[in-house]
Parts: sequence; structure tokens; C-alpha cells
Amino acid sequence: MARRIYDKEHVKAPGTPLSSKEMYQLPGTIEYTPVAKYRFTTGQALSKFLEELKRGRIAGRKCNNCGRVYVPPRMYCEFCYKPTSEWIYLEGTGTVVTAVVSYIGTARERLEKPEIIGIVKLDIDNKEPQGYDFPGLFHRFCNVSEDDVKTGKIIGARVRPRWKLEEERKGDITDIECFEPIEG
Amino acid sequence: MSMWRKKCTTPEYPGKMETEKYVYTPGLHGLEFFKTLKEKDAIVATKCGETLYIPPTTLCPDFSKGEVVEVPLTNPWYIASYTIVYEDMDGNKLDKPQILALLVPEEDIVGGIIHYVKAEPEEIDVGLMVKAKLKPREKREGKITDIEYFELVA
Amino acid sequence: MKPNIHVKDKVAIVGAGLTLFRRRMLETSRELAWEAAREALESANLELKDIDCIVIGSAPDAFDGVHLKGEYLADGSGAISKPMVRVYVGGGTGVMVPIAAWWHVASGLCRTVLAVAEEKMSPAHPHPQGVFAYIWDPVVERPLGPNLLWIFALEMRRYMHVCGASKEDIAIVSVKNKANALNHPCAQAAAKITVEDVLNSEVLVWPVHRLDVSPVSDGAAALILAREDIARKVTDTPIWVEGIGWTLDTTHWYNRELAYPRYVEYAARMAYKMAGIERPWKEIDIAEPYDPFDYKELHHIEGLMLAPRCQAWRLAREGYFDRTGELPTSPSGGLLGVGNPIAAAGVMKVAEIFWQLRYEAGERQVKKPVHYGVAQAWGDLMQVGTVVVLSN
Ligand SMILES: [Zn+2]
Repeated sequence: MARRIYDKEHVKAPGTPLSSKEMYQLPGTIEYTPVAKYRFTTGQALSKFLEELKRGRIAGRKCNNCGRVYVPPRMYCEFCYKPTSEWIYLEGTGTVVTAVVSYIGTARERLEKPEIIGIVKLDIDNKEPQGYDFPGLFHRFCNVSEDDVKTGKIIGARVRPRWKLEEERKGDITDIECFEPIEG
Repeated sequence: MSMWRKKCTTPEYPGKMETEKYVYTPGLHGLEFFKTLKEKDAIVATKCGETLYIPPTTLCPDFSKGEVVEVPLTNPWYIASYTIVYEDMDGNKLDKPQILALLVPEEDIVGGIIHYVKAEPEEIDVGLMVKAKLKPREKREGKITDIEYFELVA
Repeated sequence: MKPNIHVKDKVAIVGAGLTLFRRRMLETSRELAWEAAREALESANLELKDIDCIVIGSAPDAFDGVHLKGEYLADGSGAISKPMVRVYVGGGTGVMVPIAAWWHVASGLCRTVLAVAEEKMSPAHPHPQGVFAYIWDPVVERPLGPNLLWIFALEMRRYMHVCGASKEDIAIVSVKNKANALNHPCAQAAAKITVEDVLNSEVLVWPVHRLDVSPVSDGAAALILAREDIARKVTDTPIWVEGIGWTLDTTHWYNRELAYPRYVEYAARMAYKMAGIERPWKEIDIAEPYDPFDYKELHHIEGLMLAPRCQAWRLAREGYFDRTGELPTSPSGGLLGVGNPIAAAGVMKVAEIFWQLRYEAGERQVKKPVHYGVAQAWGDLMQVGTVVVLSN
């Protein structure tokens, strides 16, 4: 059986590349706009979480079997596969785990002003939890410069949520405007 | 189990598909099909052995590449099956019932074209002869709507 | 081999085929699948009638813009009137395809399997990145207006911080893979570039620049897997599937340490155990770790236990993972160089190990002798690891 060498010299791979212009002008090319709207229910754990955001606090669920605290809350422990045990309420202070500067939006459009986004590991009883998994939120940061991200100054920094005014909150993750560094 | 059933408000979250649009390419034989429809009064089919496939499939059942053959739209075609549509997509009654048919150029083929037949519901039947009403050449865009409809041959 | 499970039949890969990987292709999804499948059959001197079962892999339906994508791809994948299944684990799908094909044969159910992966990302407009919005949680994540690159950037930044790697250290992977792809007949993004080129390319989400990322692609890839007796009949050089492994972590990606992919390690341990590999860093000769981003290759090299934690970038700097190095990684050129039609890219990686172990990679053949190779893919919200170990 003949050996078949698979490299550029021996193989011409099938396929017909098109330029973007060619694609739109081909006879038979069809354009279609989907009209798909959805209503998502928030479920037991997240509906309580959103209600508590309105009150200016962060609700988590604790599993008394393994001691894990879940933020965002879940009604079941992923590890014990049992219902979580109780609600606990966090101040929202925490430590920055990672942060980046985004110059683009959801559909890759350039943003006028770059955004700083990151992950906060939330304190339990004013202490930073240890381990591979932890309660945390993914959110925007304020009062953080692009340089703070690039130099790494922001990683490990202590932050707290900046809440919207109570009357402006609507039970949404954006009731927290952003996380900002705690001075001093 | 009681905690799972605890009454709880579950507000709903809206979402919508962010995609602006999809652009679908016609494919290898699809391109031939629409090019032919645009430039000639014909379509193409794929011939695998003695069997004709419409719309043309790029691949024959044995995975070989089929032969592309032209099928004229100027000859009579036949109604292989049909349905009479009385309502639109939202369930509103149409002013005039629409006839949608599976049309074939001859008996021994696989597939056919789905298109409108201009006829009264009481006139329609399987096996009737029809002919394609094509848009004038200069108005054709390489779309299935380049055929306006099929009409009964008296 | 020390199998820790009962395997009825030993399984080999006996053929592989790819289409070009390009930003836009004329072919429909099913035609791409057919072109790759035909290449694979031809390479094994087999015909469709020799195939018992079909496995299809394709990532979200929203890319091609066709629901029931498995069924849609069925005719092009040769599945008409045959047992067929589609598997899907996000970006991990590509390596899940040979895993699923393996159990079809190993169980004794099928003698031969045609395994096909396809992705056509060009239909979604204005950019396929928009379609990714639907992988986010609709309540706590989507209201923040995320872009897919955010999660990668966040993970990359965390890796840099924990492991002390700089942008320059990571860019080396992009330079290596794009250069490796120069000899690949399907490559979309092969190039001779420098670390400076990567650093000077458009910043998308810092630390991710454009040249840190694989391109958007249309393409398909296929493999033929066969039972031992058939494999030995059709080829002198069957490539044995020695081990498979796959695991998932939770979608709550920001509740986890992102610097290390534990799910990849678990998947790798499963595959190594089956293959009887105890010291992968010594016993694996060649690897195709999943590289949709340059840092991802380093991340996965560590997850696959081919380098100690946080050491992959140091070794990359020394040329350890080059084609001429001690443990060549992504000799194909990877997703960064060949392209990233999601599921098809994973199969392309397995196909590369197949060709390398047969010494058929031509210009891309690594310089050292090779006996054991590993291919891996990763996917969804930082949570899927799929691993295949092959030998010659
Ligand atoms: Zn628990």
C-alpha cells in the first residue's frame, strides 16, 4: 500500500474559498434575519439573588455538607449533589482575581471608551476564601485604570460593589454599577 | 423536597437573538442550479446512474460526484402532489387559497421543485400538466422566485 | 497497554481527510462534510459501503444557521440509512468525535466508523462572535454585554499573573504555530511572524491581541476508525487509539481558579490510565493541545501534564515545543495557523497526530522518532476537556 504524504507539496485539499464580495453576489445566496425572542425565567436561586440586589446585599447559598458557599447562588450543591442548606448574605467586599481591558463589544464592534472587566472573589465573614472554587462575581470595574490592569496592580486588590441609588435598582445584576477599589 | 417547591417569585428575563442576519451560500451544485435558472429557461439536476435528483445533490448515494444535467423549464412538468393553503403563518385567513405543489419534469426522478400553482382549488389534481411562468430574464436574481409560479396547461 | 476497562475490540484510525479551512466557502455545510469524508475514505482505500456507522460532530447550530445540524449533515456525512449520532461539547467536540467513534467500535457494535466534523461560521452576521452571546447566563452575565473574548482574556490574564508569564512569552506560541502551518495544505492563517508582530497587532481585549487569536473559519475534517482485523487488512500502518478521556466542569466559570484547567487534567488522566501511560511528560512524543488562543496551548500543555504547572511558557521559550524540539506541540500549525472551524479543528488535530505517527506529515514531520501522541480539545465556558492518546 502506497504511503500518502500529507503536506502542501502532495495534497490539494478540496474546498472553494470565496471573498466577502463574491459571497454576497453569488446567484442563489440567501440572506435571512432570524426573529427569535426569548423569556428566561430566573429560577428559585437567582430570583432571590436579584431581589436581594435591590436591597443592596449579595445573597449566597451555603452547603452545610461540604461548607461551600455559592455566589451566584444555586439550590443544589454541584459537588455533593444535594440541596444547598441555607441563605447567607455577603457585604460584597472581595479580592480581584483577574481583570482585562475590552476595546470591543458583543459583536466585535470597537467601543468608544474601553471597559474594564474582571472577576471578584467574594469575602465570607470578611475573609478571603481559599481553594480552587469560590463564591465570586464577574463584573465591570470603576476607578481602575488601563495601566492598573496591564501592570497587574489591580490583581489581588481589595474591592467593593458600587451600588446604584436604591430607587434606581430594579433587581438586576447591573444594580451593582461596578466594583471599585477600597481606598487605603 | 419541600424546599424545591417553595413558592418563589421568578421574574422573567428578556433576550433576543443578536444575529443581524445569516448569509447562506448556495453550494457547488446549488450555484449551478441558480445560475442556470437566471441565464436560461432551465434548471439543473444531478444524474446518479440512471436516476435524476432535483434539486441537484452534490453527492450521489454511493458518495460519488454526480453528473450535472440541464432540465428545461419550457417543457410541461407534472404535479406529483399538492396542498391547498387557506391561512398565513400567523393563522390569518388568506384572501384567496394558495396552491403549493411538488412538481416534477418526468416520472422517474427523486425529488422535485416545490412551487406555487396558479389554479382554482377545484381544478387541481395529481398528474396534471403544468408549465413554469418565468420572470423576464433581465429581472431574474438567481432565486427560486425567478419562477413566478406554475400554471395549468390546457 | 494496561486497560482499566473491558474493551471488546482494539480500535485503529486508518484514514483522515480535510477540506481547506477558509473564512468563507462556497460549499454548503453538508458539501464540506462530504468533501472531507470522501478524502478520508479515499486515503483508506475504502468506499461508503464499507462503513457501518457514522459519528458527526458540530458545534452550536447558530453558526451554520441551521437547526438539527446533525440531521442536516447526515447525507454529506454518509449517514443515510446507517446508525448515526451527533456529539456536541462546545469547542471540545472535535476530539469528542473520535472518542465517540472509538466506543462504537470498541464495544463491538460497529466494525468501521466514518467520523465527520464540520463547521461553517461564515453565515452569521455581522460577526460569529455575536452568536456566542447565547452561551452566557441570561440573568447574571448577558446584561453586562460580554464578548466571547472576555472570558479568554480573563483566563489569560490570570494565567499570566499566577505563572509570571509576560505577553512576549505567550506570543511565542502564536509565532511557532503560524510558522508550523506554512506546510499545511489546508492552512488559513499560516505566516512567518515575530513576537513584535503579535504585540503590535490590534488590541481586542487586553491582554488579547488579534494575533493571539485563531481565525474564524469554514471547514470540515473526517477520520475512519476500524476494528483491529479490518484495520490490519486495509493498511500496514494502523494508528491505535490507546486511550480516551473526557470530563466537564461547571459553567460557573468565574467561581473557579482559571490559571489551571483541572478538567483537562482529569480527562488526560483517564486517557493515560487506559493507555498505560504513567509519566506523560516522558512517554508522550508529540502533542496537539487545543490552541484557539496562544496562551491556551500553554494552559493545556500543563493540563495534559506534559510540563509542570506554570513551566510551559518557560519551556516554549527554550524551543522545547518546536518541531525540532524535545516535545513538539501543534506541529500541524494548530488552530492559530491552520484555522478554527470549531469541531473540524479538533479533528484536524487528531488527524495530524495520525499522519505524524505514520511518518506521513512530509514537510511537517517532526525531527524525533514518535511512538505516542496526544490530541486534546477544550470548550464551552472554560469547562470541557477531551483527550485522545494514539500510538503506532
Ligand atoms: Zn456540598
